[in-house]
Amino acid sequence: MGLKDDLQRYRAVGEERRQDLEAFITYGDLGPSGESSVRIPIKIVELPAFRYDQQDRGGVGQGEGEPGDPVSATPQPGEDAKAGDEGTDHDYYEMDPEEFAQELDEALGLDLEPKGKEVIEEKEGDFSEVSLTGPRSTLDIEYFFREGLKRKLATDVDEDYVREALRVSGWGVDEVFRWARGQRIPVSRQWLAQQTPIDDADRWPDIEAMEASVEQTSTLERLRTDGLRRLPFRREDERFRHPEIIEEREKNVVVVNIRDVSGSMRADKRELVERVFTPLDWYLQGKYDHAEFRYVAHDADAWEVDRGDFFGIRSGGGTRISAAYERAAEILEEYPWSEWNRYVFAAGDSENSTNDTEDRVIPLMEDIDANLHAYVETRPNGGGINATHADEVERHFDGVDDVVVTRLTEPGGVIDAIDAILSTEAEPEAEVAA
Amino acid sequence: MSLGSRDGLQRKATKLTGPAEDARALANKLGLHPLPVTYWLVDYDEMNRLIAYDGFPTRYPHWRWGMKYERQRRLDRAGSRKAFELVINDDPAHAFLQESNSTADQKAVITHVEAHADFFANNRWFGLFGDDPDAAARMEAHARRIEGYMADPEIGREAVERWIDSVLPLVDTIDQYQPYDPSPDSETESEHEDGSPVPDLDISADVEGAIFDDDWVEAQEELDAEEQPARDVLLFLRRFGRQYDEETGKAVEMADWQKDVIDILRAEAHYFAAQQMTKVCNEGWAAMWESVMMGEEAFAGDDEFLDYAAHQAKVLGSPGLNPYSLGKQLWEHIENQANRREVLERLLQVEDLTPGTIVDRVEFDRVLEDLEPEPPLDSITEETLADLRSLDPVKVDQSALDRALSGDLDLDGQPWRVLSYEGLAERHFSLTKPQNRGVLREVDRSLLQEIDRYLFENDRYPDIEAAIADVDYTAGWDKLFQVRESHNDVTFIDEFLTPSFIRENGYFTYEYSHATGDTRVASRDPEDVKRKLLLQFTNFGKPTITVEDGNYDNKNELLLAHQYNGIQLDFEEAGETLERVFDLWGRPVNLKTIVKTLDDRDREVARRRGREPDPEEEGRLLRYDGEDLEIEELEWADVEDIAADDVDYSTKPEDWL
Repeated sequence: MGLKDDLQRYRAVGEERRQDLEAFITYGDLGPSGESSVRIPIKIVELPAFRYDQQDRGGVGQGEGEPGDPVSATPQPGEDAKAGDEGTDHDYYEMDPEEFAQELDEALGLDLEPKGKEVIEEKEGDFSEVSLTGPRSTLDIEYFFREGLKRKLATDVDEDYVREALRVSGWGVDEVFRWARGQRIPVSRQWLAQQTPIDDADRWPDIEAMEASVEQTSTLERLRTDGLRRLPFRREDERFRHPEIIEEREKNVVVVNIRDVSGSMRADKRELVERVFTPLDWYLQGKYDHAEFRYVAHDADAWEVDRGDFFGIRSGGGTRISAAYERAAEILEEYPWSEWNRYVFAAGDSENSTNDTEDRVIPLMEDIDANLHAYVETRPNGGGINATHADEVERHFDGVDDVVVTRLTEPGGVIDAIDAILSTEAEPEAEVAA
Repeated sequence: MSLGSRDGLQRKATKLTGPAEDARALANKLGLHPLPVTYWLVDYDEMNRLIAYDGFPTRYPHWRWGMKYERQRRLDRAGSRKAFELVINDDPAHAFLQESNSTADQKAVITHVEAHADFFANNRWFGLFGDDPDAAARMEAHARRIEGYMADPEIGREAVERWIDSVLPLVDTIDQYQPYDPSPDSETESEHEDGSPVPDLDISADVEGAIFDDDWVEAQEELDAEEQPARDVLLFLRRFGRQYDEETGKAVEMADWQKDVIDILRAEAHYFAAQQMTKVCNEGWAAMWESVMMGEEAFAGDDEFLDYAAHQAKVLGSPGLNPYSLGKQLWEHIENQANRREVLERLLQVEDLTPGTIVDRVEFDRVLEDLEPEPPLDSITEETLADLRSLDPVKVDQSALDRALSGDLDLDGQPWRVLSYEGLAERHFSLTKPQNRGVLREVDRSLLQEIDRYLFENDRYPDIEAAIADVDYTAGWDKLFQVRESHNDVTFIDEFLTPSFIRENGYFTYEYSHATGDTRVASRDPEDVKRKLLLQFTNFGKPTITVEDGNYDNKNELLLAHQYNGIQLDFEEAGETLERVFDLWGRPVNLKTIVKTLDDRDREVARRRGREPDPEEEGRLLRYDGEDLEIEELEWADVEDIAADDVDYSTKPEDWL
């Protein structure tokens, strides 16, 4: 119980009560969401109560103004000290693009595998490779020290104690050596020999007397009193660590969004475009490690814009779709096909300058390498006779599986459009017809 | 997290023990009698958490705490966090200070908290909950009980949460004016104030007893229980409500755990009610005494003073209606009025001064000079200390002065230690403060006549000097302490928000206009402004709902009534809330209310003519039977009893636009 628990429950409630994904894409408010955060409004998480009608209630303000004057922003009454925020702030279920992609996969029955591209990037992993040589800075000090310490412990002798053994009456080097080894004291015979003749050689009548009277100090105690002045380090204990080389294929994607912003693209068409492109961008961002987005607006000319401006812009002029593809081709020079996955999504109402589609757009589309080219035709009111771009593209690329054309007439078709685009990409490469 | 596990931070809190003790001593001298306070230091995150949980470390499990926490964090990230402190009403009270506060902020917070603790201890509305709230322990006990039900395999978390979700929408439909009685079954409903079964008849007890004999009284009580509108909807549901059993389609008695959950939520509602009812006066109280202690008594060190000024600016300078600043201004207004009355009373008792002659004959500047604190009261230093002995002894804390003079007490920049309540009152006399110097002069003959009416003597003093010398400097503060005992926001605003205050501060009411489709200034009339303000504070700023009938239509249906006051209910929300009422009643539930109707034609005409349309008031009945919500129109006769007869909170003027 506690905050963690309560937060989890809130999230769960939010998940239950949020708008479902398809409804959100089709007619939800995309405003609060951003490039990398998807915010789905939660339906009424606040508990109801008997309250005044907000509008009818009126209020008290402070400042200038005569009866009848407009009030700038509805001033909020004083802070509600006890209860939570009664304000107009909505609650959202927030998800990142990865989660969005997962959910969309589930909703549409897809499972797009992001393609890793040729470029291999060498990344350094853990320092788990060990070798016997290397620069001093990579010496594994811990190992080195431990080995030295082990050595010390193995050969360390309480010399004073052993010398006392030599003072047992009648004991010489041999007797002491045998006894010491029996005690697992690793004294060397040579060193014993060097201690004789020892003073006071008959101090102890027998070994038992000595053992009873003399205290043995442990290695640790001696280390403490004498210090670690000299540990027996050896060259053969040196080990040098290297980082493991992990070969990573980075999964990059660049998405070029193209939109017809000419006079004929009014608000209803713009909204449809936004509803298709935004989820696509989120989806691809969720699937790929690294995603970049470029936005091209065009009428008879093409120019690059920011995401913020992309959906809102409206200009006056005529339409020449090839301008956009020329611009796209330029942009994509920054993203070599060998290193980047590329998607080129274009949207419009199929109106184009005479012959532009056949003479220029189609060849450009053939030239520009991409995982997928898509054209989204938004024609809520049917189309003019000259609006044939979608038809022409479709006809020309019939059977080719990296070009897809879809038509949208109303928000209800948005999900299908997204589905059409993503499932074309998800399908395995078709075999070339014999 | 529970109180008492704050070991790491306790060490830091000891650094503040000195200031806390000093603040307590100063508060006592100033006449405040706070509850004991325990101070805790918390970090930023813990503060967010505490705010989300209404100030308590432990509450019963519910997702709305998570929601509040998320919102709190969002507000905080946006930089709009103003809370420097959090204090909960308990004995001892608990105050949470942010460890990142500067020392000046901490001192300000402590003085603020002490004033709050005084308010909790002395304001009668806090007394309604009982003498020992034992709040922290109570909240924890509530949490354990609810956790227990959630863990019970026969009940389960979901059922408990759903039940809580049914009760919470109704926690404001309590009778916050009655002492809290935890037992739901005591029969206090049909007793009137004087204990007699019949209200306010001016006859003797014997006669009363003869006419209204026991049988009559009993019959009346039964009728009462059914017919008198009950304010405490939640209590009514607790006593008479049932649960709807889906399987049998019948209303069955609530399970014990369900009753207990209602009892818990009801107790918490009553606990918090006092705070909700006194936001303006409580916050104003704390802000005022904080500024007396910090600013005037220089509780802040010299180097801390600028920090403090910034702190005050942040708290009091928020846009919109700020309860802190409104409250503080009203308290200062009360103080000024009381002090002025005291001075005028003295002046009116001077030999040849009358209401007619005072304005011309009295030199108010001289009077104000005379009212200034006499040396050495105004500036107590090492050198002037001994001079205090020459003052009227009532102004001095004799034993403290003795100790200070003998070197046993180090004043250390805290001269208040050697003064008494009277001495401090003179030192802080409001009328002589620069910002209040105009108050004394603002007298007119009618005010003087009114005061004069209640005076016994007219020529007690030979001259003005003598009269002023006799002024009781504690008049203002004495009045403040009286008011803080008895008032809540509604009575506070109603009594002390004067037309001049409203005009001086440029308050106006605004309303939504159908003619223009937006919000417009409606009225600058002080009466309208006061009414509109009171709307925000009366009954927690929510509409008053009462139980009208527990056996509506003779089918055991519940009939609730909205006591309409000129402002409509949020209809949609009312419907949703009614569904929750059904959960607690078990049988169909009804709500009668009044709506203002405008058809599209009226709106069109209004828009075209640029004139505000006049809506029709009509009765409505909402009914929920467990499945469908129905809305029915009611005859005016059926809703006459709830119509806005005595007060209408709508302030749209006649010829508005």
